Amino acid sequence: MALTGLEVFKLLPNTNCRECGFATCLAFAMRLAAKKIEAEECPYLSEEAKEILGASAVPPIRLVEIKSGDKSVKIGEELVMFRHEKKFFHQTAFSVCIDDSEDEREITEKLEKIKKINFERAGEILKLDLIAVKDTSGDKQKFCKTINLIKNFIDLPLILFSENPEIVTVGLEEIPDDKPLIYSANNENWEKMTELAKKYNASLAITAEDGLKGLSELSERIKNKGFENIVLNPKCRSLTEILTNYTLIRRLSLENNYRNLGYPIILYLENEDNFINSAVGICKYASIVVFNDVNDWEYLPLLTLRQNIFSDPQKPLQVEPGIYKVGEPDESSPVFVTTNFSLTYFIVSTEIEGAGFSGHLIITDAEGLSVLSAWSAGKFSGEIVGKFVINSGIENNISHRNIIIPGYVAVISGELEDSLPGWNVYVGPQEASDIPSYLKEVWSKEN
Amino acid sequence: MSKIIASAAIRGAHKIFSRAETLLKETVKKNGESREVKFPGTAYYLPVVYALTGKKVERLCDMYEPLNQAKSLLPKIPSENLWLPYLGDALDAGIATLIAEEIIEALKFVNGNEPINGIWLGPTTDAVLREQGIKLVDGRMPGFAACVGAPKTKEEAVKLTRDLQERNILVFMSSHTNGVSMAEQLAEEGIEMNWDTFLVPYGKDTSATVHALGFAVRAAMTFGGITPNGLKEAREILLYNKNRVHAFVLALGEVDDEKYATAAGAINFGFPVIADTDIPQILPTGICTYEHVVSNIPYNEMPSKAIEVRGLKIKITKIPIPVRCGPAFEGERVRKENLAVEFGGKYTTSFEYLISKGLDEVEDGKIEVVGPEIDDVEEKARLPLAIIIEIAGRKMQKDFESILERHIHTFLSQAMGVMHLGQRDINWIRIGKEAKNAGLKFKHLGILLRAKLLSEFPAIVDKVQVTLYTNEEDVKRLYPAAKSAYEERDKRMGELTDESVDTFYSCQLCQSYAPNHVCVITPERLGLCGAYNWIDGKAAYEISPHGANQPIKKGECLDSVKGKWKGVNDFVYERSNNTLPSFSAYSMMEDPMTSCGCFECIAGVLPGTKGIMIVDREYQEMTPSGMTFFNLAEFVGGGQQTPGFIGIGILYIVSKKFISADGGLKRVVWMTKNIKERLKDKLAERAKEIGEEDLLDKIADESVTTELEPLIEFLNNVNHPALKMEELF
Amino acid sequence: MEIEIPIKKWSGKIRAVTIGTEKNGITIGGEDTLPFHHFEGSIPNKPIIAFEVQDIYPSDWLDVVKEPYGEYLKNPIEWAKAAVVKYNADMVCLNLLSTHPDRENRSADEAAELVKNIISEIDVPLIIKGPGSSEKQNQVLNKCGEAGAGKRCIIASAVEDNYKTITAACQAYGHIVVAETPIDVNLAKQLNILISDMNFPPGRIIIDPLTGGLGYGLEYTYSVMERIRLQALGGDAMLQMPFICFVGQEVWRVKEVKVDESVEPLWGDMKKRGICWEAATAITLLLSGADILVMRHPEAINIVRKSVGRLMEK
Repeated sequence: MALTGLEVFKLLPNTNCRECGFATCLAFAMRLAAKKIEAEECPYLSEEAKEILGASAVPPIRLVEIKSGDKSVKIGEELVMFRHEKKFFHQTAFSVCIDDSEDEREITEKLEKIKKINFERAGEILKLDLIAVKDTSGDKQKFCKTINLIKNFIDLPLILFSENPEIVTVGLEEIPDDKPLIYSANNENWEKMTELAKKYNASLAITAEDGLKGLSELSERIKNKGFENIVLNPKCRSLTEILTNYTLIRRLSLENNYRNLGYPIILYLENEDNFINSAVGICKYASIVVFNDVNDWEYLPLLTLRQNIFSDPQKPLQVEPGIYKVGEPDESSPVFVTTNFSLTYFIVSTEIEGAGFSGHLIITDAEGLSVLSAWSAGKFSGEIVGKFVINSGIENNISHRNIIIPGYVAVISGELEDSLPGWNVYVGPQEASDIPSYLKEVWSKEN
Repeated sequence: MSKIIASAAIRGAHKIFSRAETLLKETVKKNGESREVKFPGTAYYLPVVYALTGKKVERLCDMYEPLNQAKSLLPKIPSENLWLPYLGDALDAGIATLIAEEIIEALKFVNGNEPINGIWLGPTTDAVLREQGIKLVDGRMPGFAACVGAPKTKEEAVKLTRDLQERNILVFMSSHTNGVSMAEQLAEEGIEMNWDTFLVPYGKDTSATVHALGFAVRAAMTFGGITPNGLKEAREILLYNKNRVHAFVLALGEVDDEKYATAAGAINFGFPVIADTDIPQILPTGICTYEHVVSNIPYNEMPSKAIEVRGLKIKITKIPIPVRCGPAFEGERVRKENLAVEFGGKYTTSFEYLISKGLDEVEDGKIEVVGPEIDDVEEKARLPLAIIIEIAGRKMQKDFESILERHIHTFLSQAMGVMHLGQRDINWIRIGKEAKNAGLKFKHLGILLRAKLLSEFPAIVDKVQVTLYTNEEDVKRLYPAAKSAYEERDKRMGELTDESVDTFYSCQLCQSYAPNHVCVITPERLGLCGAYNWIDGKAAYEISPHGANQPIKKGECLDSVKGKWKGVNDFVYERSNNTLPSFSAYSMMEDPMTSCGCFECIAGVLPGTKGIMIVDREYQEMTPSGMTFFNLAEFVGGGQQTPGFIGIGILYIVSKKFISADGGLKRVVWMTKNIKERLKDKLAERAKEIGEEDLLDKIADESVTTELEPLIEFLNNVNHPALKMEELF
Repeated sequence: MEIEIPIKKWSGKIRAVTIGTEKNGITIGGEDTLPFHHFEGSIPNKPIIAFEVQDIYPSDWLDVVKEPYGEYLKNPIEWAKAAVVKYNADMVCLNLLSTHPDRENRSADEAAELVKNIISEIDVPLIIKGPGSSEKQNQVLNKCGEAGAGKRCIIASAVEDNYKTITAACQAYGHIVVAETPIDVNLAKQLNILISDMNFPPGRIIIDPLTGGLGYGLEYTYSVMERIRLQALGGDAMLQMPFICFVGQEVWRVKEVKVDESVEPLWGDMKKRGICWEAATAITLLLSGADILVMRHPEAINIVRKSVGRLMEK
């Protein structure tokens, strides 16, 4: 049973020393109760408090960090089965696999592509997170060479993809300051692998043949060696099995507090169903997906899906306030205004473009609320919108002074006219889907 | 039930039954009993017989069984001295009558005296039934009137017809009065009668009335998905009609025994009878939703009486005013240079007052302007104004007056060229030149208000009458009553206590992003967003019974101090998807109410002070808790119980039930200036009530400090009452 | 050490709905567990993909989507036949777009005629989708309901402000009604109650939770479907209806499927990207409980159909 903020507070020294970085012990307690910080960040915690807090704070799914320099990928520490229950905290890390048997040119080409994958969407950068190096050659030197090639080219944390402890050892030696993920330990090599992971601060993926049972036994043995940065690789023969095993692992750890499987999951894709399997993995509990190969056109949809699923259901995605060009607007193109809720922005701009129009779309700062919510919260009043429009400098870009507002906030039209002297306010449709007919039927006839 | 009516109905039933019996015998003799018999264009055999008995009549011989059933239903004709024939008997007689009548009508097809003849259309086909019936079901047609007999004159017949047509009521005509039928009256006046004009002459015999009920039963079978199979299904069909088919009988002219018998049949369907003659009334409600028989109604009042008695809901599809109307015009301003006329503002006395009255006190659709009209005054004139709206409705309650009245603003603002600001006696209305040029009159404001009230609040508003006074003396004369009503309402709201009601209301509007959050709105604790109080919740539930505001029966009180009730706990548990087993209305420390995220303010404990702080949404700086409003919002929102912290509507702070289990207002040691400013008078009043007159000065705000240690020092200096209280946790 | 597999038994069950006639009927729904949770419940019917066919040449469709249908697009009957014969459609969704007042404003009678013809030409169950404009929606769906009487089509859609006429038509002509609400559990439930209150059998209602395409609100649809399903399985009878998701229309108008790789080289081949966009949207919706997916591109449909097969393996 999780402790409430006040219960946590009672365990703190209540000195308001601020050494943790927060103004009060209460503020620290609330964050700790919400599992947003670690108890250790309080320097004055009593031993007793540590024990209580430690026990109550151990996340049911362990947080695992894979690092290289200041690039860090965190996975695990999930708290819910369904995103609406709170949110999914750490998004599925995407990794592309580099085969050390390929020649340098091929590898460089692949790396160049990986480097370029960088899309901006709804105020976030979508890109790949990890690179896996696979020991296909079986040659230590080649393995090391490939690692170096990658490291020189791109600064992403690595997955050392090998079941051979000797190869893994040389790999680890190449990157002594990183915290890579070793993929993977199995019933034969686990002791050596665990030692290596411990020694080099790496994390360790584990694979077992005998379903969840085998996996659980292996993780327990490794844990008994004092090592816990584990990532699970349940072997699955079918898509149904992926869904089943991943769901059960999540359920066992969250609802049954089954610690042996309380670790993030890695999904390695090698066959032709990469695209679909990874989509399933993103939705259903894979913390890492490793692609042997990805087609160019698959990146954007998969990264977008990940962004969707891992967005916070209680905190709408926002776009940066400002003037956006839809299509290729000129000085006579219409001016629209709406809020910075990303979905509103996307849909409005899609509809304008879909109607075959170009326009200037002014996005105000409404804390990511939708139009009606923003208006009722007082963040989309005539005055606020008017000020924003003037400050945006749009007047320099256009020859007219007409602005279209969302139909749901028709009530602000008068107030907006007051705060935008010389402008005509047009009340557009309530639903974005009616923008095309509005532009064709109303706007075009009047302008 | 009136003995006169019951006796007459039973006598009529016997007559009709024996006529059917004889006719069947003769027809069988002539044609043999395997002769086919059917109504054209229907797959429902003889629909009434089929619906009421489950029997599929396809041949003459199939008629024996239903006719026997009818016979078994026939009560004895009551003798002069027996004081007993009552509703049940008359209703049975009615059913028997309908079965017999339909058999009579069906036999006409066999015997060659076709009911489809000249102006008479005879039984309805399934195709027409489906096309027209959908309108009945979806509300485009509010109902149908089965007119039996004829009004006294042709002119009156025409007028009555027009009144019904205007309201989109489908008109069925049958029977006659002394040889004159209504359909013939209309035909003589050159009125076109068919399914397109909604005027349907069934037949001149009283028995043709059964086709109206044939229409009704097929509506139940087609749109209610009920398949006849005997008594149980028959009852379902009758109930379907009672609840969904808003039909009524207009008895025109003298009512003879056969008409009584047929009317008794209709009452089984929940169709009341409205008569122009002075027949005995049957008022108590039983079978019909409201009254069964009302009599002596003048023709011009018949439609509106029918609407009232049958609970018809008229749908206004197009509001007849000369300017456009819609949400797009809501915020539009009418500027000085464009002004035709204005009311109120700081210039004249102007107020709007909505009042609920009895059903017979309100004449629906009556819109009157007392005083000058728009064309009587010069441009830019400033006039006094009193808008008096009288509302009647079976479900209307005094408490809803203020809620409906608040909508005047939206309704008037939606007319192009009309600007409305404020409310009650501080309103300000402007009408622009363009609207005036388009032909807008003051009267149209009344028409608009009526139409909107009826269409937006069909569940509670049945009748609307609007009077606009634009002359000084009337406005002055009427104002005091309105003013005292405003005061009365405010007082009532203030007097409503949680103890005085047995039902609270929920609000689940925000579950879209806080899936387990349930707002519990009590008279003394408004919704945390500040937008909904208890009366709003109650009205919203009446208006939309399956909507986001549901009644919560308090049930057994488990803890009167903390505000825990069994009914509330059960409700919250279920609606929070089984996550919140217990809820306290008056404590922020134990099982406090959850929050969605819309709260106006957050109240939270301040360790070391024994008190709490309250911060509002507008204030974005640091608070003594070490957290800003938005830091706090992250922990308080999302539908989780966070002991020590609650999201609240600002007015809750001055409620007597404000964290009353935790010590109430005295616990407040810090609040933002915004809140102090907004609640100034009310806070002072509350402080006085709890005997801490100078409490407001002892509550710190951001100008005193935003840090905990200086706050504690301040509290000690002013000797804040919280310091003497028990620890909160 | 054996692991105790945590199996959930739900008290609720999704209603099975049969679409079409005795001859060509397809049943959806009927599951008593979460999507593809074969390990703890029964999923008697697989999700179905319906091909979207429009009643008019889809001039606004991308070439990418038009190309597989070629000349057939010029005649909706040929188009529907091609979907069935060439691409093995299990179901066809006839979108009566041209009846919209802002479009060609074709009459309800014309639409009804087309429905009749399509029904006589193809032997798979039909979804009839109105133009959405409320007055016209009623006229069109009423007439088309009549034209398809007894064929147990799916009629889309009834909404909170306009459900009575369509429900009455579905009742009178024996069809299945789609109840569409804007991504909200309580509104979905409310509309189902309102429709059932008209004496309409709950077993003939399908929920349209309103679909957001990938990148355009998909996560909202995804979560609201998960919530509705959980509540339904938890025993809420007024949410135990199957889902229909109109995928194609949402996907094929977004920027990400329209921009050519010459403009955005990193986005990769436009055609394949579009197909992936539609497939990814569909797969995500399947995982949250979709029972019928209405889609456009045959290749995307093929991918999803194969995936359904894999997800239905026990």
